[in-house]
Order: sequence, then structure tokens, then C-alpha cells
Amino acid sequence: MTPKNNFFSLRGQFLYWCAAILVVSTAFPFFWMVSTSFKPLPEIFVSPPRFLPDEFTLANFERLFEQTRFLTYFRNSVFVSLATVILTITIGSAGAYSLTRFQFYGREKIASLILFTYMFAPIMIVIPFYVLIKKIGLANTHIALIMAYTAFCLPFSLWLLRAFFQSIPLALEKAALIDGASRFQAVIYVVLPSALPGIIATSIFTFILAWNDYIFVRILITSDELKTLSVGIADLYNATVIDWGMIMAGIMLITVPILIFFVFVQRYLIAGWGAGAMKG
Amino acid sequence: MKLNSQKAGILLIAPSVLLICSLLVYPVLYGAWLSLFKKHSFFPDQRFVGITNYIYLMKNSDFWMSIWYGTVYSVSTIFFQIIIGIVAALIVNEAFKGRNFVRGVILFPYVIPTVVAIILWKWLLNDQFGLVNYLLVSVGIVEDPLSWMGKDYIMTTLILISIWEFFPFVVLSILARMQTIPPVLYSAAKVDGAGPFRRFIHVTLPQLRNVLFVIILLRSIWMFTKFDTVWLLTQGGGADKYIRTLPVYAYMRTFMYYQAGLGSALAVIMFIILVVATMIYFKMFRREEEI
Repeated sequence: MTPKNNFFSLRGQFLYWCAAILVVSTAFPFFWMVSTSFKPLPEIFVSPPRFLPDEFTLANFERLFEQTRFLTYFRNSVFVSLATVILTITIGSAGAYSLTRFQFYGREKIASLILFTYMFAPIMIVIPFYVLIKKIGLANTHIALIMAYTAFCLPFSLWLLRAFFQSIPLALEKAALIDGASRFQAVIYVVLPSALPGIIATSIFTFILAWNDYIFVRILITSDELKTLSVGIADLYNATVIDWGMIMAGIMLITVPILIFFVFVQRYLIAGWGAGAMKG
Repeated sequence: MKLNSQKAGILLIAPSVLLICSLLVYPVLYGAWLSLFKKHSFFPDQRFVGITNYIYLMKNSDFWMSIWYGTVYSVSTIFFQIIIGIVAALIVNEAFKGRNFVRGVILFPYVIPTVVAIILWKWLLNDQFGLVNYLLVSVGIVEDPLSWMGKDYIMTTLILISIWEFFPFVVLSILARMQTIPPVLYSAAKVDGAGPFRRFIHVTLPQLRNVLFVIILLRSIWMFTKFDTVWLLTQGGGADKYIRTLPVYAYMRTFMYYQAGLGSALAVIMFIILVVATMIYFKMFRREEEI
């Protein structure tokens, strides 16, 4: 480890300036969003702009809740994202466990198929996917969304979970089996707890992907009451004369859960990154 | 434990393989099949037309423009993401107070929904009330507010927003690798009298070679197929023609002109371009060792 850079050295000064530029350029738009969302309408358009609201108001949030279906969109997003996480993690953990613990014909072929489909982008799938979903009568349902997200998250989830399962020594399981545990018990009490950081990292990536998606909702969902946040807010934005205060309040409420969540689980997220996660 | 492992193993992987095959691989193949039809996006009627869709596209100037815009967009955003990503990773790899805070904050743009990023920047870059124009005018960099969403600047705006949104991915990937470079390499270089710049060129960069190979590959695929950032930026500006990349063009053909066959043909072309480009990339840069 290099010694800490002193703030008063030339090198230290340079570093702090660079870090400050990084922080301001990434965080300032969010600060501006929060500030705008608490300003009364006339103050939003005032020149010169004020960095903090002179008069603090919740009127933007009231309009958002009373005049739009924001809460419905929010509920839909939570439901679809959580369902995707549960499904992906269950199927993906079983698959990753199989890939790391069993010998069977075609195992390596399956692993390369998974890596190959990791490269697929939504836009390459979405047109035929839409036609097929319409054919089987699932268009405009949350099930279609959950299916699409699960299929999309599986390749990288399998890849990531596989890396985590590989790092758990086989000896642990063998010891449990010798102590008289069944294979199932060995998995539940020995393997899963050690794989927990990996499972958490994978869940976060899956959740973020489902929560942030726009294209699948845009194409698969037509009823307003089934829309999730991304499309809901985009439609509010495009609807009429833009109510900037209300829109800022809305996107702030979408962003805050993600950012709070993110601060708490950051260390798992960074662990997952080392193993090569994330897409988009 | 070994006895029935073949069966149990296959049973456990089966749901994953089934889902991936039916919901990812099959749609791609079905899309290739659809591209040979003249098909309405909403109604079931379809007519086999062979490669007519492809021939139509080859003669269509909008198609070639979309390839051009898509290339400009992906090459420039990838270039700047990589440069800024490496510099930022070098900074947050240093030891200083508040480092973890900085590391957390610079990831924000990457974890938020694209819709949020786009609306945020549309507000900041608003030509009448936007903060950016206000600052530019009051500092005196420009005389009149810039029309960021107008046809002259829309591509620049799109590229800037995309770099902002996606460079954190590069930072984290490189940072994860930098932390595994053995410090002894640096002390050896120091003993040999190498300054910071030469240490970066001769120690850090070669160590980053493999991770850069993967990052550039993934980011190229994702930027070339990027839909939501481009699409959401075009809405309501009137300058959408000037950033109509290949994914946006495929979407418009399918869901605005209702030509599902033509849209599928565009998706197939996108797929072929990616596969060919990836193969060339591997031939040119992949070394013998495993990545």
C-alpha cells in the first residue's frame, strides 16, 4: 500500500482537485434534481437560478401523487423487479451449482452457450419476442416482462454465480456429508451461506436491470395501469407542457431507492464487479 | 455422491438452458426467419418475400445513414469512456481521505435508470431555463444560449450524456484489476529509475491489457446496440433524424411503420455486424494466453 497522499503536498493537491472534479461532474446533476423538486414553480424558472430553494415546498410531490398514477407505476416496478430477482436467483443458483459440482456430457458446451448469449442486446430480441408473446397471448401482462427479464439476466447471473461457487472449496461439502448431512442439507447449510456475497451481488445486478429497463415495457405493455416507472415517467414527460417540478419530484423518487440501496450494498456490488458482472 | 451425478447435474441446469433457449436463442432464430417475410407488426398476416427486405435496405439511404450515425456514436463514446475511465481509476486507486466516498459517488450515473439520466440532462441543457446555458453565457464562453437538442448539437449532446452515463463501468472494471497488480512491480520500476509516467506505460498498462480487451469488446457491443439512451433523447426535439442509429431505426421500422419483417432484417444485420466485428477483433488483439 502506498502511503496516504498528504493534502498539502503538490501531489495531494492535484489528487484532491481531480477527485473533486469527478465528484462534482457525477453528483451535481443529482443535487440539481433534488433542489428543483423542492422549489415552487415560479422559482424553478427564475434567472439567475438559485442553487437551493428560497421557499421550500412539497407541492411538486402532491401534484405527482394526485394527478398521475405514479404510485401504481412504483408498485408495478417493485413487483416485477422482485419477481425477476427471485426467479433468476433460484434458477441461476441451481444452474451454477450444477456447472461447478457435476460432471455431465455437454457441460462445457452449455457454459459457452451461456457466455455467447451474454452478448445479446435487447434490441436484437425484442421484435421477434414481441411477435411470439402476442402469439401465445401474453402481451400486456407482467408475466411477459418477468419472462423477458429473467431470460435476459440468466446468462450473466449464471456466469457470476458460477465464479462464486467455484471459489467455495469442495472439502466443505464433503465434510458435511461425512458428518451425516444429506446433499440437500449440505447445500442449504454449507454452500449457500458461503455463496451469499455472490448471491447478493447477482441479485443487485438483476434488480437494477429490471428496475431500469425501458424497451421491454415500452413494447410489451400497453395499459397505463400496468406500466412500470421508466415508461410511466417517460410518458408523463412527453404528455403535455412539461411540469418540470413534478417531473423532477418523480425522477427523484425513482432514483432515491436505488441510491440508498446502493450505498448499503456497495461492497457486494464491487465484489461482483471483480468477477465480471453487469450489462448495459 | 458420484453415482447419479450425471442425472442430478442435468436436472439442475435444465431450467436455465430451457429458458435461455426458448426466450433468447429461439427469438433470435425466429427473427431471422421473420426477416424473410413482409409482415405487419400487429396483424397476423404475413407473406414470404425472400431476401426482398435486405435488398430494399441495401438501396435505402436511411439505412446507410443509421449505420454511419451508429458508428460515429459508438466509436466516439467508447474512446472517451476508456480514456476518462482509466484516468478516473488511477485517481481513485490512490490512497486519500474520502476515497470510498468518491468511489461510491462516481458510480451513480451508471446505476440509475436511463430515463432519469436523460430527463436530468434535458433539464440541465434546456435552452431557455437550463443551468448549463446560464453558466456558459454568464461566464462568457458563448454569447447566446446553445440549442443542445437542435440538429447541430444533438449528436454532441448524445455523446456527452452517454459518456457520463457509462464511464463508471470502465472505472470499476479497471479498478478491480488494478488492485491485483503486485506492488513489487512498481518498486522494481522505481529502483530502475522510472518516473510515474513511465511506470504507468511499462507496468500498469501491460497489466491492464487483458481487462481492457474485455471492456472494449463489451462496451462496443453495448454501445452499438444501445437503444434507450438514444431513443429517449430524440423524443420531442425534432432533431431525431440526426442521431437515428441502427437500433433506433430498427425500432421505428417495426413499431412506427409496422414493418416487422423489415425491422427483423435490421436486427439480423446488426447481429451479423457484431459477430464479424468480434471475430476480427479477436484475430487482431487476442494473445495466445487465456483471458
